[in-house]
Amino acid sequence: MKHHLPWLICLLLFASVLTICPVSPAVAAPVTYKRTVEKYQIPDVILTNQFGKKVRLKTLLESGRPVAVDFIYATCTTICPVLSAGYTNLQRKLGPDSAKVQLVSITIDPENDNPRILKEYLQRYQARPGWDFLTGSRKDIDRVMHAFDAYFRDKMDHKPLTFIRGADGSWIRLYGLISSSEFMAEYKKAGLL
Amino acid sequence: MTLPMKVPAERASLLLLSILICVVLSAAAWAAPVAVPSDETQRLGEQMYRKGILPSGAPIKAYVSGDVPVDGTSFTCVSCHLRSGLGSIEGEVITPPTNGRILYQPRKPFIPGSEFVPSYSNYAKYLPVRPAYTDDSLAALILTGIDPTSRSVLKVMPRYDLGEKDMAIMISYLKSLSDQPPPGVTKDEIRFATVIVEGTDPVAVQSMLAPLQFSIDRKNSLSTAAEKNHRVARMGYNMLGDLSALRFSLSRWTLKGAPATWRAQLEEYYRKEPVFALLGGISEGEWEPVHRFCEEKKIPNLFPVVDYPVLSDTDWYTLYFSRGVRQEGEAAARYLYGMAELFKGKPVLQLYRASRKGQTLATGFRESWKAIGGGAMTEVRLSANEKLTTKKVLKLINQKKPAALVLWDDAASLSALSGLAAQKNRPGLVLASGTYLGKALWAVPEELRGLLYLTYPYRLPQEDSRFDVNVKRVLQGKPLELYEQRIVRQSYLTGEVFGKALMMMRGEYYRDYLHDVIGMMSDMHYPLYERVSFGPGQRYASKGSYIVQLGSGSNPVLERRSEWVIP
Repeated sequence: MKHHLPWLICLLLFASVLTICPVSPAVAAPVTYKRTVEKYQIPDVILTNQFGKKVRLKTLLESGRPVAVDFIYATCTTICPVLSAGYTNLQRKLGPDSAKVQLVSITIDPENDNPRILKEYLQRYQARPGWDFLTGSRKDIDRVMHAFDAYFRDKMDHKPLTFIRGADGSWIRLYGLISSSEFMAEYKKAGLL
Repeated sequence: MTLPMKVPAERASLLLLSILICVVLSAAAWAAPVAVPSDETQRLGEQMYRKGILPSGAPIKAYVSGDVPVDGTSFTCVSCHLRSGLGSIEGEVITPPTNGRILYQPRKPFIPGSEFVPSYSNYAKYLPVRPAYTDDSLAALILTGIDPTSRSVLKVMPRYDLGEKDMAIMISYLKSLSDQPPPGVTKDEIRFATVIVEGTDPVAVQSMLAPLQFSIDRKNSLSTAAEKNHRVARMGYNMLGDLSALRFSLSRWTLKGAPATWRAQLEEYYRKEPVFALLGGISEGEWEPVHRFCEEKKIPNLFPVVDYPVLSDTDWYTLYFSRGVRQEGEAAARYLYGMAELFKGKPVLQLYRASRKGQTLATGFRESWKAIGGGAMTEVRLSANEKLTTKKVLKLINQKKPAALVLWDDAASLSALSGLAAQKNRPGLVLASGTYLGKALWAVPEELRGLLYLTYPYRLPQEDSRFDVNVKRVLQGKPLELYEQRIVRQSYLTGEVFGKALMMMRGEYYRDYLHDVIGMMSDMHYPLYERVSFGPGQRYASKGSYIVQLGSGSNPVLERRSEWVIP
């Protein structure tokens, strides 16, 4: 008994951690996305883009151009590809004007996502100018996630969130996997299209 | 014998005929061999599943989120259902298995064998029941996203536009996924082995083996106790399902002689004793023949203790602790790049020993420095026996006038740096490898400590000591000093990760699935490494390094001079 008790205790602890993780059914009726309007204070951090260039986040997001932000990571299997497909589709609709709208993806896996990986990811989604994928130190990434009330303790716990900056500096927060038409409608409403 | 009720002769004949047809058809179905896809069908199916490329070479057309058109190349089946086809759990989405063996069975609200296991990885309890798929209903699901109960699956599941022939190839491939039990797994046991290269320091070997054997023994003691004690059996089952009754074994495979002969030795070991996976392993030099063997035989190898892992973006079966020695060179480049604006056009001087370690560090630095656009760099190679003198260092400094000196050598070169700190035209900093210096790191001359920066790819020792209690537990009372601390800690990590992975596998002991579940694990905080982090397809557990300096005094500690630097 002495020998196997630690194993059992370890298992119990592990299982209790796992059982409290939130989860949604995989096969379910589509959930309507949730839309709220929020005020966020963008932290003054320097991140790195897919070209390895330093980017001051505040400047990028408050440049006056229409802006959208999401939190993804390059090896994500489910949610991120859907969010990125939304960006791809938006850029297609914008056509040659794609750079007029600033799309920003911020990695939640800075441990893995270096500029080379960010660049490859954008190529996979046929990104055009105007879509930047940023990484940084974990401390700075955590600050940004907290600022958007989108902190994920771990990348495996992340949620589908997209933020669109309104003309008045407020942010439209979209929570859920939304269809292309819903996405476009939101962008139009925010003046991005 | 009479029928219980009166049946007209005509109807009785029809009934008999029906029964006969059913029996014949059933027998035919029973006798018919399970369709095995040809190699070409398998190849094309794999190409569709993993790359999203049709047999014609064109990308599969797909739609996600209802109406977002995408290329199948960016929405491949493998990205969610993973390589094993056994599905994934990520964020708020559970992706069910898509292999034929499970699809063609009705789904119950539990995983058979883990009915009462209250674990997050017991995914089936979150999924609605459904009848077994047929080829037709599976094709309908792939095309339309509608399952056999007429429900629409989540919007994240793309709807793939496949023609009839391509669909048949895809379905054939799905039927082959995680279908046959792998070697090394029986109903009673899962067999593992660890590879030891002969000639490796015995203390290092023992330090690698002790935590692994502890993990194996711990699991087996649970099985033994469960056989004798009903309550333990119930607890074990509630936590582990069918895994609780399985025993583990760990064989030692010792490789002798030249690396060129290792392949034949590995083949022979494997022929005599097929194993499910290799755990740990240790070599002070080569590992590539073992890596290649695992790749070709599709055998997982979890965390060999090596300095020179095989670096690849595509190889699948070996997981490493890090990118090895090279990672320090890469991190050094990233760190210096962060201050390159201060260099004012002056170059970085890279001085490196022509040893394997020195050259690997130098290559890592050089390639990363160039890739990130790090500016001017000049290099000097020290031959294997050349002594680095103060005179030579000063001459190089005067000639090259570097902004920073990167020195990849062992402690022998430290004495050549003495006096450098007092020089007027010295570089702003000297950067070296903490692991290359080894124990000499703790004896860096006092006058050099302010100038010398070191790569250190681990958690700082004074912060890692809180894990001593975990490490002592696996050593079962034996003194820590008898072991190589770094290796014990690494091997402790191996034992924890493989134990956790097997629990998450829920009876599906398939090799690709082992890697799939490790890819789904949350980031972990274990001894030695600051953050052990995986993700689908990631192959290196720890990916960065600190830059540190040695503090002053006779009992100095390492002082952090950077955040965790990701190359």
